[in-house]
Amino acid sequence: MVGIHTVVRSRRRSVLAVSALGAATALLALTGCSTGGSSANGSYGFPEAKQDTSSTITVWVDADRQAAAKAFEKAHPDTKIKVVTYDGSANGSNSFRTKIQLFDRAGSGWPDVVFSSQNNDASWASQKTNGKQAFAAVLDKGLVPKDTLSNFTPGALNPCTVSGQVYCLRNDLAQVVLWYNKSLMDQLGYTVPTTWEEYQALGQKVAKEHPGYIVGTQGDAWTPEVFMWGSKCEANNITGPASVTVKTDSTECKRAATLLDTLRGDGTVPNVSVFTPEFVKNYTGKVLMMPGPAWYAGAIFNNAQSLNVPAGQLAVAAPLPWKGEDKAVTGNVGGGTWFISSHSKNLKAAEQFAQFVTTADDYQVNVAPGYPAYAPAAQKWIAKQDASKYYATPLQPIVTAASQVWDGWGYGLFSQEAVWAKTMTPAITGGKNIADLLPTWQQAIENQAKVNGYKVN
Amino acid sequence: MTTLSQQRRQRVNLGGWSGRAIGGVILLVFVLFFVIPIVWLLLAVTKSSKALILDNPFALGSWADFTANWNQLFGFQDGAVTTWIGNSALYSVGALVITLLVSIPAGYALALTEFRLRKALLVLTLVVMLIPSTALVLPIFLELNTVGLIGSPLSVILPMSFFPFGVYLTYIYFSTSVPRDLLAAARIDGCSEFQVFTRIALPLAAPIVALVAFFSFVQNWNNFFLPFVMLPSSDGYPVQVGLTSLLASTPAFNPSSAGSDSVQLPTLALATIVSILPVLIVFLFSQRFLVTGMTAGGTKE
Amino acid sequence: MTLARPSDQLTAGAHQRRRSAAREGRAPGRTPIGYLFVSLYALLTLAFGIAPAVYSVVLAFTTADGGFAGFDNFVKVVTDFRFWPAVEHVVAYLVIWLIGLLVFVVALALIVHALRVRWASTSLRFIYYLPGALAGASSVLLWLFVLDPTASPVGGLLRAMGFNSFVQVIQPGNLPVIFAVIAFWTGAGGWIVIMYGALNNISTEVIEAARIDGANAVQIAWSIQLPMLRKWIAYMGVMSLAAGTQLFVEPQLLSQASNAIVPNDYSLNQLAYQYAFQQNDFNGAAAISLLLLVVALLLSWVFVTRGGLFERE
Repeated sequence: MVGIHTVVRSRRRSVLAVSALGAATALLALTGCSTGGSSANGSYGFPEAKQDTSSTITVWVDADRQAAAKAFEKAHPDTKIKVVTYDGSANGSNSFRTKIQLFDRAGSGWPDVVFSSQNNDASWASQKTNGKQAFAAVLDKGLVPKDTLSNFTPGALNPCTVSGQVYCLRNDLAQVVLWYNKSLMDQLGYTVPTTWEEYQALGQKVAKEHPGYIVGTQGDAWTPEVFMWGSKCEANNITGPASVTVKTDSTECKRAATLLDTLRGDGTVPNVSVFTPEFVKNYTGKVLMMPGPAWYAGAIFNNAQSLNVPAGQLAVAAPLPWKGEDKAVTGNVGGGTWFISSHSKNLKAAEQFAQFVTTADDYQVNVAPGYPAYAPAAQKWIAKQDASKYYATPLQPIVTAASQVWDGWGYGLFSQEAVWAKTMTPAITGGKNIADLLPTWQQAIENQAKVNGYKVN
Repeated sequence: MTTLSQQRRQRVNLGGWSGRAIGGVILLVFVLFFVIPIVWLLLAVTKSSKALILDNPFALGSWADFTANWNQLFGFQDGAVTTWIGNSALYSVGALVITLLVSIPAGYALALTEFRLRKALLVLTLVVMLIPSTALVLPIFLELNTVGLIGSPLSVILPMSFFPFGVYLTYIYFSTSVPRDLLAAARIDGCSEFQVFTRIALPLAAPIVALVAFFSFVQNWNNFFLPFVMLPSSDGYPVQVGLTSLLASTPAFNPSSAGSDSVQLPTLALATIVSILPVLIVFLFSQRFLVTGMTAGGTKE
Repeated sequence: MTLARPSDQLTAGAHQRRRSAAREGRAPGRTPIGYLFVSLYALLTLAFGIAPAVYSVVLAFTTADGGFAGFDNFVKVVTDFRFWPAVEHVVAYLVIWLIGLLVFVVALALIVHALRVRWASTSLRFIYYLPGALAGASSVLLWLFVLDPTASPVGGLLRAMGFNSFVQVIQPGNLPVIFAVIAFWTGAGGWIVIMYGALNNISTEVIEAARIDGANAVQIAWSIQLPMLRKWIAYMGVMSLAAGTQLFVEPQLLSQASNAIVPNDYSLNQLAYQYAFQQNDFNGAAAISLLLLVVALLLSWVFVTRGGLFERE
């Protein structure tokens, strides 16, 4: 009796163990499975899947870009598309990369066209990971016509260019310009500065004469992209797919840091984020100037839920140079990108879609909320904004600024905004000076770069 | 367990006035703690974004603002929110049914029957419960991909119905609240093991069934990561995953989405309330079962 | 049944059960029915618990190409500049959270249970549970506002504590307390309901007997109710320990609400997530998860043995 029990017991136990091990080995074997198919480059510069020009393509968009998909369906009813909405990989969710990694491991399921609201996805999408084929199709070896690519604003495709090849199309630009309230400036008797040094002097003057008014903010995560980038601070010089140069102790970085510290000290560029209740409560009607991206217009100024600046007051000036610079450079805060999948079975339709949504007037001029990256569409978009009679001055400076984005600040795998927010903002809130924190910033960027696989020099 | 001494009985009875006052104060403080943010949230849906920022937190908004928020929420992506809620209901209820069918008998067996691997299964369950879900997501994804379930509701329902927390609750309940002599009595009376379970233990288990059902429903309703990974298509999203799309269209959380069409903060507040209403309804419903405690009268001769 | 003293009744019960077991001559219920009842559950455990866990363990000891890596992943993870700060964060949070939860949940459950008025008891449990329904993305907005002194419903309280802006509230030193408060706010209600149910199952005769003997509410709670809640409290301790070491939702929430001022690698579980999905390093993620598991197991062993979680009365 007992003997049988023991045998039964141990058999059951070993059955459990064997099945667990078996399951594990099976799973391991799965990961070893490669996707199959040729790994030789096709005519467009990457390995292609078997093409079928009548198949439906899957398109991933976010809520704001659904209008683009709709516009495409109206203009090209014969091309079949399936629209999937997702969060656009926004706000650090990284969902684009997460899902693609999962599809890579499963060996199937990739969408054909993806919109990402981040501008640094080309840094990983262009690379092979763990031996798996790179997700992004190469666009400048024939897939997208050369004249289309050359009509993008100079520099707009920089985030999409890795090792000299273009992997995505830019949807919109977010160049930093100098917004100012013309009526308020005239009323208080100030003139628009023409250099950063003049801007700093003006800020100090405003603090003395009209305390409570501000000339900018520095509490957002993209503060370095506005001030440091525009000052040519070499904090994010991506030199290759896996290498970066970080030097925050240069004069360029120090001058921007001093500017921010001085104006924060006297209250004219406070450490507050423009999307907090605090900003709206304390500074409605008190914003004299604001260096910031082009989309500030719709997000903050011309927005009833935010500052709600009345028509005829908001004006824009070209980005400021530092004294001695012949050409001004500026920063950039955002701008989405469209990717075509290298695994797509219908590259023709995918390319048609991507080209339409980035260049067609039907979407970019008539519907799109942001400044188009495609230059011809951008001109028409600006003309439309000018015609709305909301702005106090012509918007040409925004067009000028579009091609002035400094190319010494790259688009790496890791987020500079996250590094600044994590390391610098709490320290600044605690009372430290940015100028003193520059070495800390350098160390934080290097640490983050290294864990993301970058070599720092 | 010491018996009560004479001296203790003669001391001032703490259960009197001051004890009750302390208890009352504690209750009140915690009521405020739990309720104030909820009240704020409820009032927030009646305001416009600007009013939310500038007005008194406890001021009431307007009907017009509420209607505007409602329309914006249910107009988002052509009524996606309604689809999401439907999906959430499908996944949660589906997983709930399987969970109950699986967990209640399992908990009973772990508590009141004897079989060789009993303790091993208990320990194993506890260990599995302690593993961070980040580590389990990829293998489960690969498993379900091999059987071709990715994208179907089952890919979400099946992993969700694995509910060790509920099994443990049932196990503890059966081992503390069902006296073994009751079952022994039933066995002596000639009931088969199965009948002991269905005729004696199960009727006594109404509170724990309600509790497990409730927790299972809530956990499944609020589960974000599993559906996010398993479902590639947005029409299959449950509410939690869909809300990320909503968040991504709110400028406060995604500055690059700013524009006149973007989702406003009070709409987000409304989305929050709409997404938790089913949970609250289920809670109220299952509360009735929790009140009926089990009487120990079963063993009265 | 005569009204025996509570202690007597407990020992008497045990005595009876031992007698009946002896009478049967074998352990009760030792039939294959146990196997049948757990079969479905065992299947699910295997598919969604054990197999993925084993896979994870294998991942932790291999490289990305599948080769054996020994302890390399663990070394890589432990020397990561974010690892030890994350450990400190989790420990600080865990201490505050666990103590607060255990003390307040039991106290509130006891007080609510002692209420004579039925509707008060029900509505209180509902109120305490209400925040628990709010999870994940839903409550980002809530905390963005509640923690901003300029717009918060508890703005007066925040300003009285010296905070005048959102960034001041979320300074790193305050975060463990904030997360403990948020986690308590959402988690306490569920446990109060469970404890309440457990209290309901304590025979009222026992309590009546004690009351007749002159015991007041505190003494009844301490000597009678708490010991009978031992297993439940142990369970709550274990689960909260596990949940605490796996801190993820609260820092992720605040990270979104604050636009990354609260970093998305604040806790160890978040770090594992970053490894898996930001750095595409599932091996590192598995290593962190394994470390978390080992620590949680060691700590919960205390609760399991002290609380007698696996014993049967």
